[in-house]
Amino acid sequence: MPDNFQRVSPLADIAIQGRFGADHGAPGVTLSVRHPVLIATVIARKGKAKALADALKSWRGATVQWAGAEQYFLLDKPFDEVRKKLEGLASCSDQSHGRVIIRIEGPKVRQVLCKGTPVDLHESGFEIGKSALTQMAHVGVHLTRVGRDAFELSVFRGFSESFWEWLTEKAEEFGYQVI
Amino acid sequence: MTGFRLDKGGLIDRKAPLYFTFDGRAFTGFAGDTLASALISNDVHLMGRSFKYHRPRGVISAGSSEPNALVELREGARKEANTRATMIELHDGLVAKSQNHWPSLEFDIGALNSLASAMFVAGFYYKTFMWPKSFWEKIYEPIIRKAAGLGNASKEADPDKYEKAYAHCDLLVVGSGPAGLIAALMAARSGARIILADESSTLGGSLLNENEEIGGMSGHAWAIGVIGELGSKSNVTLMPRTTIFGWYDDNIFGAVERVNDHVLEPSPYEPRQRYWRIMAKRAVMATGAEERPIVFGGNDVPGVMTAGALRTYANRYAAAAGKSVVVFTNNNSGYRTARDMNAHGVHVEVIIDSRKEPNVDAGGVPVIRGGAIVNVRGGKRVSGVELADHRMIPCDAVAMSGGWSPIVNLMCHRGAKPKWDERIAGFVPPDVGDRFVAAGSAAGRMLLSECLADGARAGTLKGKTPAIPKCRDEAFAVTPLWWVKESTGKAFVDYQNDSTAKDLPLAAQEGYRDIELAKRYTTAGMATDQGKLGNVNAIAILAEATGRTMDQVGTTTFRPYYTPVSFGAIAGPFVGHHFQPVRKTPLHDWADELGAVFVETGLWMRSSWFPQAGEDWLASASREVLATRERVGLCDVSTLGKIDVQGKDAAEFLNRLYCNTFSTLDVGKARYGLMLREDGIVFDDGTTSRLAADHFLMTTTTANAARVMSHMEFCHQAHWPELDVQYVSVTEQWAQMAIAGPKARATLQKIVDKVTLDDTGFPYLAAKEISILGGMTARLFRISFSGEHAYELAVPADYGNLVARSIMQAGEEFGITPYGIEALSIMRIEKGHVAGGELNGTTTAGDLGLGKMMSSKKDYIGRMMAAREGLTDKNRQCVVGIRPFDAADKIRAGSHILKKEDAPSMAADQGYISSVAWSPMLNMWLGLALLSNGRERHGEVVKIFDGVRKIHMFGVICDPMQYDRENKKLHA
Repeated sequence: MPDNFQRVSPLADIAIQGRFGADHGAPGVTLSVRHPVLIATVIARKGKAKALADALKSWRGATVQWAGAEQYFLLDKPFDEVRKKLEGLASCSDQSHGRVIIRIEGPKVRQVLCKGTPVDLHESGFEIGKSALTQMAHVGVHLTRVGRDAFELSVFRGFSESFWEWLTEKAEEFGYQVI
Repeated sequence: MTGFRLDKGGLIDRKAPLYFTFDGRAFTGFAGDTLASALISNDVHLMGRSFKYHRPRGVISAGSSEPNALVELREGARKEANTRATMIELHDGLVAKSQNHWPSLEFDIGALNSLASAMFVAGFYYKTFMWPKSFWEKIYEPIIRKAAGLGNASKEADPDKYEKAYAHCDLLVVGSGPAGLIAALMAARSGARIILADESSTLGGSLLNENEEIGGMSGHAWAIGVIGELGSKSNVTLMPRTTIFGWYDDNIFGAVERVNDHVLEPSPYEPRQRYWRIMAKRAVMATGAEERPIVFGGNDVPGVMTAGALRTYANRYAAAAGKSVVVFTNNNSGYRTARDMNAHGVHVEVIIDSRKEPNVDAGGVPVIRGGAIVNVRGGKRVSGVELADHRMIPCDAVAMSGGWSPIVNLMCHRGAKPKWDERIAGFVPPDVGDRFVAAGSAAGRMLLSECLADGARAGTLKGKTPAIPKCRDEAFAVTPLWWVKESTGKAFVDYQNDSTAKDLPLAAQEGYRDIELAKRYTTAGMATDQGKLGNVNAIAILAEATGRTMDQVGTTTFRPYYTPVSFGAIAGPFVGHHFQPVRKTPLHDWADELGAVFVETGLWMRSSWFPQAGEDWLASASREVLATRERVGLCDVSTLGKIDVQGKDAAEFLNRLYCNTFSTLDVGKARYGLMLREDGIVFDDGTTSRLAADHFLMTTTTANAARVMSHMEFCHQAHWPELDVQYVSVTEQWAQMAIAGPKARATLQKIVDKVTLDDTGFPYLAAKEISILGGMTARLFRISFSGEHAYELAVPADYGNLVARSIMQAGEEFGITPYGIEALSIMRIEKGHVAGGELNGTTTAGDLGLGKMMSSKKDYIGRMMAAREGLTDKNRQCVVGIRPFDAADKIRAGSHILKKEDAPSMAADQGYISSVAWSPMLNMWLGLALLSNGRERHGEVVKIFDGVRKIHMFGVICDPMQYDRENKKLHA
């Protein structure tokens, strides 16, 4: 059911735009909050993993991120549409409000992220589109490489403020901007 | 030479003078100096006092093994005790102080300990402080505590930041001397990802300290070339100032990078230190070798140092440790020092070689063959040496070399032991497989050409090892001399602990023959340097005293950390309010606006009460209860765990997880569920609703949300993989609020679209997706924890604050009040609903009065074990209500319950009070208790004993439900 209410991000008053941290010329990383965003958890029904993967692969306009065994985050599609399209193939749960996605991008992105995740993000082994479930600063993070030097970090909504504070502090030495 | 700074040479920048103070005196050094080299160049050799005898001490080494020159670095909150002067990079404004003396470094009363040194032998503590027993706590321990330790810690909070980080590589090279550099170079040229780490401020290792020749240029120039090439490659990470301190499972290395220890004050944006975990596919240990002292009388007098250190100060720092040097050696290293010092214009008096027929170029310096220094003359500075034949030789510095020990520590961190190599008279590293190999002098290769060849081999990850550059070798030969027994003065084996040569035979004589026992008994090899210089000498002396070989005695256990690691680095950024993450509910802002006081519940911040002017927590919570019970209240319950359970077998899955049945639940209805552990004890509870035939929404307690989720994962994956069921946490998707009280229905009706909230349209335990506020999707549940006519409303989290505010507005005409979890807790106790105090991991369903929920028609987790005799015993403690006999008394949670006439004892214990609350409805304290055979004892007067406050009172046992026992309000 489409609704016309104003969605308020938990980072609305936290992720303030501007330039922060050390000044070494161009900012080391650029941060932004993807909001509002549409997210659904999609888990294959028994025996439907292959069919689900195929259905997701051919779905134009949907962003599919691996999120565990036979499990995905499906972005950018309204939940009702997701449920209808994947009926019989997957169990779907709306998470659009439950997770906050922070985009981090820039030449120093790996130096910032390596302060939190033990996952090797080197471009040789972590290609664009690949996701990992990891922990950063004691917070569970779903991490996806979305560009050459760009990543999306998806965390539970309740942790987003705390996580933002930690992340920006780790970016300070390189200088960062929030857009 | 002017003073003790050589006129030329060294890797210091003479155009960059740096000003610093030591013990309040102002000095000048240069960029490139360490504190130790700067002090030496200023003719300061007395840098500290030793631990036990308070002996004057100076620098022994030029690196991280330094046991003596430990200083307090910086002042105030940034003060750091026991910092090695040999590792402190000099910087402008540096302030350092010497340690372990009173009243001053020059004149230290503690030195009197030396006079009583006969007393301070090995095992002194064990022998002295044994009796009388009563002296231990009052007299001995305070004295020992006062004497223990060296420097003083700052008592202030550390103002600097620390962080943690992870790194990955194909090859980690530890150490940047010739072997490390060429290993890194070979590997880097193949395109592999390389990390080259070195504890020093500058890469180059021994090539910074020694006069070498590689590829037709100086060793240092060659190193600069290699480092330049490495630095230009994107696949190489150079990490100077980084100590690899430990080797762990799966080739993971721990490291500390001293990012900002070399500046007065770090940038506010940068950490002082960074704690690394480096995951290396392969690693090379190119850590070099450590020169050993020789054990002879006065081998600790300031001015005595290892031969390698003496020439390092001259070659690298252009600092002369003396104007007249005597060399004492059992290998060729001493000759190298003599030649280097000569080349720098420093007079070398004589080389005393313990070997009878050495064959080395002495560079024109006279050599005494088969000789030994028996005692060093001098107190705070060397004034001369005395030989075995009683000859006296005046000098102001002594260079000693007892041979070289490969630095094998890292490779032994996972339990492998090094092996003794007679040829080099040193322990060489064990073979730990090809993922971690030793190269260079760390592997016992004592010639430069061997180091280069070895390093090149280790760095060749595939294909043939390329040719190495030509170099000049310095011959290596050693004949062990461990201890000059003719010495009459104190001859130190372990400087930091003041262990002498006599302590080890004494330990052996007293039965401590094992090296691990001898270490503890003599303290040789303990403290901050962990015996880096002294251990091999200690092993040799113990071997001799017990008639064993070096291999038979063996080494003590090598453990991380290689050098001390600060607590700051270990804690990283997780201090203060960053200690753990904060989790906020979607209604946080709404509650905050209304003045909520928040309480930590796990990581969550929950609104606890909403005080008005002048109210304390109890007054506030009591008012919130009254308002809710009389009118209507709104409470944030978003923290309850919510798990979407879907799939063809979802109902069957729940049947097996819960002790009661869910397959019979109608779509659109909620049911209270109870989950047991495998052992039959209650695990968790909550309401679970059926949203569709194949879709359930489970709720869990706040505390157990994650645990229930992993329980489900385990059960599904391990027990019942055949079930077609999918589940995922949706806790954070929903803002959930309880609306409770006689006016709850009227309030909600105002914001609900279409549905009529009467008992037919929305009966008790209805659970449905509805629409509110003219089009917002929401879920409404008619469930109650407070015992009132109540609902829980869930809306997508981004709308939470908006909806809560709308409900407050809708309820204004009815007198709506926000209530927190204190009021919630009071109401559940009034109603006898169990929660954390009763669901405490010891209670069964029967104990909680929920035995009837356990289905007899199906199997479920915990069924078998719940039937054990002990879990069905009628005398088990079960939940009852309890009130004070005198309504004015205050009962307290944790108090024990006794029969009325019994005195408190373990044997007489009948149970305890698990939850209490002040009931504003009944105007008294009341509680829930776990009482033996409690259900049969309603009405009994019991004794309540509060062992903490040592008070007792009488109480009355009653039904757990103490308010609205007919549940009229619930169904109103």
